[in-house]
Amino acid sequence: MRKNKHGFRKPFVMKKFKQPEEQPTVDPITGKKIPKSFVFSRGKIPASLKQLQMDLRKLMLPYTALSLREKKRNNLRDFLNVAGPMGVTHFFILSKTASSPYLRVATTPQGPTLTFKIHEYSLAADIARSQLHPRCPKDLFKNSALIVLSGFVRGDLPLQLTTNMFQNIFPTIDVKTVKLSTCQRILLLNYNKDTKLIDFRHYSIRLQPVGVSRRLRKLVQTHQVPDLRNLQDVSDFVTKAGYGSESEADEEAATITLSSDLGRVNRASTKSAVKLQEVGPRMTLQLIKIEKGLCAGEVLFSEYGNTGGKEKSDEMEGEEDAEGQKEGEHAEDSEDEDEDEELD
Amino acid sequence: MAEEMAMVESGRARRKFVKTQGRKKSSKKGKVMPSPHGQKKVKIDKKMKKLFRKRAREYNSDDEEDEAIVTAASETRRLASVTNKNNEEDDMESGDNQSEDEGAAAPLKTSNKNATGTNDHSSDDEGDDGNEIQPGITKFTEGCRAFKMAFRNIMKKSVPDDMLGPILSAHKKLVIEKLGEEQAEHNMKGEAKKEKQMLAEKGHVKPAQYLDSHEKFLISVATKGVVKLFNAVNKAQTAQKGLNPSRNKDAKEIRKRAKQAFFSELGKPSLPSTGTSTKINEGTGKVEDQQPAWAPLRDNYMLTSSRLKDWDKMPDKNVSDDFGRTSENSSSDED
Repeated sequence: MRKNKHGFRKPFVMKKFKQPEEQPTVDPITGKKIPKSFVFSRGKIPASLKQLQMDLRKLMLPYTALSLREKKRNNLRDFLNVAGPMGVTHFFILSKTASSPYLRVATTPQGPTLTFKIHEYSLAADIARSQLHPRCPKDLFKNSALIVLSGFVRGDLPLQLTTNMFQNIFPTIDVKTVKLSTCQRILLLNYNKDTKLIDFRHYSIRLQPVGVSRRLRKLVQTHQVPDLRNLQDVSDFVTKAGYGSESEADEEAATITLSSDLGRVNRASTKSAVKLQEVGPRMTLQLIKIEKGLCAGEVLFSEYGNTGGKEKSDEMEGEEDAEGQKEGEHAEDSEDEDEDEELD
Repeated sequence: MAEEMAMVESGRARRKFVKTQGRKKSSKKGKVMPSPHGQKKVKIDKKMKKLFRKRAREYNSDDEEDEAIVTAASETRRLASVTNKNNEEDDMESGDNQSEDEGAAAPLKTSNKNATGTNDHSSDDEGDDGNEIQPGITKFTEGCRAFKMAFRNIMKKSVPDDMLGPILSAHKKLVIEKLGEEQAEHNMKGEAKKEKQMLAEKGHVKPAQYLDSHEKFLISVATKGVVKLFNAVNKAQTAQKGLNPSRNKDAKEIRKRAKQAFFSELGKPSLPSTGTSTKINEGTGKVEDQQPAWAPLRDNYMLTSSRLKDWDKMPDKNVSDDFGRTSENSSSDED
């Protein structure tokens, strides 16, 4: 009996845990350092901001910690300690005060830190809800986004710093070797001179062949049997012109000729139209402060007048003190937590 | 002394005897009980007792005029107990009968059993409980006219159609006040919650279903940037089509071409309105002139410092040039 029982038992197999692939710190072709980022929050933030944090992480994929867990007792130093060995170069820190939410973008380990006030924001889910056909292809987040900065004024030092900062948050692309199929999404930062606000938008890029009727395009793309009920002849399906969309006129400016095939539809040496559809978070930012260090140090620029003024420096000292106390309290814990995060 | 001792001893013995007797009795009872029917009976009996006692109490509290009924109730109780005993006996008998039935299944005996059933208050056929309570209840309800009258009176009363419903009159104001307070508190809580929610959702905007002009403008800007980049990529990649930069031979070829392109670019007058991406291309081309294409073979591999190192010093020429263009035509810069 016993033997029988054992005979039917499922053999015990050790589960092989798949080691996450080590991400390269250096681009294999261009040889430039790949920037990596942490997106996290300081202090207590409401659920919608947590969602925004998640959206930002997705935007920063693949070179970010998507499931970074932060604890209440983690202080900035903890993140900094982890950032070094993991090659993290940028921090995105969300925080919230009574007046409004804030986003700090900092380079590690020395800074500078840019503090943005988030005037308005919409989550990726909100945007998807507002669209008739939200689009999210499988490999949308497999490659890092492109970045387009526009409207930033020359000669303005803080703005220049902002552009520099944002140019370096994504890996450099080499024009000679880059594959266009990896360019799936784009981050746009548009500076408005009059309002001094920065529009932060995230779009997905789609290429469509030009000069082909919508029906044919759909047929090729989806491989589904078309509806021919209303047609007299099969040839009508090809010849009958569909109604043109309003954006047809704009398309001419947005056409490109491809050098190589891109997917099933976009063939080499045919014209393709670039179509953008919004994904991801939408924000309206205002640059309010630049600090020399990482969330500390000399204030180089402040929106509210007194640059490096007395009040600001006092405030900074106070913050530093608070940070120092925290460190003192959790000096023992910090190492353990570091390990935790690495495991995550 | 000895006598006394003996007396005492005898007393003790007597006591002991009594005790043992009592114990024996109890043990006897215990021994008697274990039959399944008997146990059940006992349980029901206790319940009955409780029920009857309760009824009697209620009755007493109701009005103490008719003591006769109380006595009657007690009588019924006694009666019930008697019937119970009878029942017990009956059950025992019936059990025996059943066992016999199982053995022989003779029609005569079953008829006999039926006869016994009819003889003893016909309790066996129906459930034991219902039948036993019945007489008590009937008597009780018959006797209680006052209760009936009171109930009828209550039912006759027309209740004013009030939101609060029927309330003892003295507390009417108090209840209203209390309800009002509750409502106010609830409102306060709701407001506080709403306020908190508002604060948490500050800045959170649900986008409109349509694209407004600003969004369209932004999309067009982004599209321009993408088109510029893609065109630049195509321009660069058509030139080196069919060449693999990781192969040594091809790399040489690429370098040659880049050199040519670079020199041809030098010969031209500088054009400020070329694409940003192409400009990057030139920059990299310069580096690649003397050095192998594959990055790890270069001298400055991994030594290139980040641009942000000296960001607060004077901006270098390259960057300033870049800005000139961005301000002009809001172009893109892909890095």
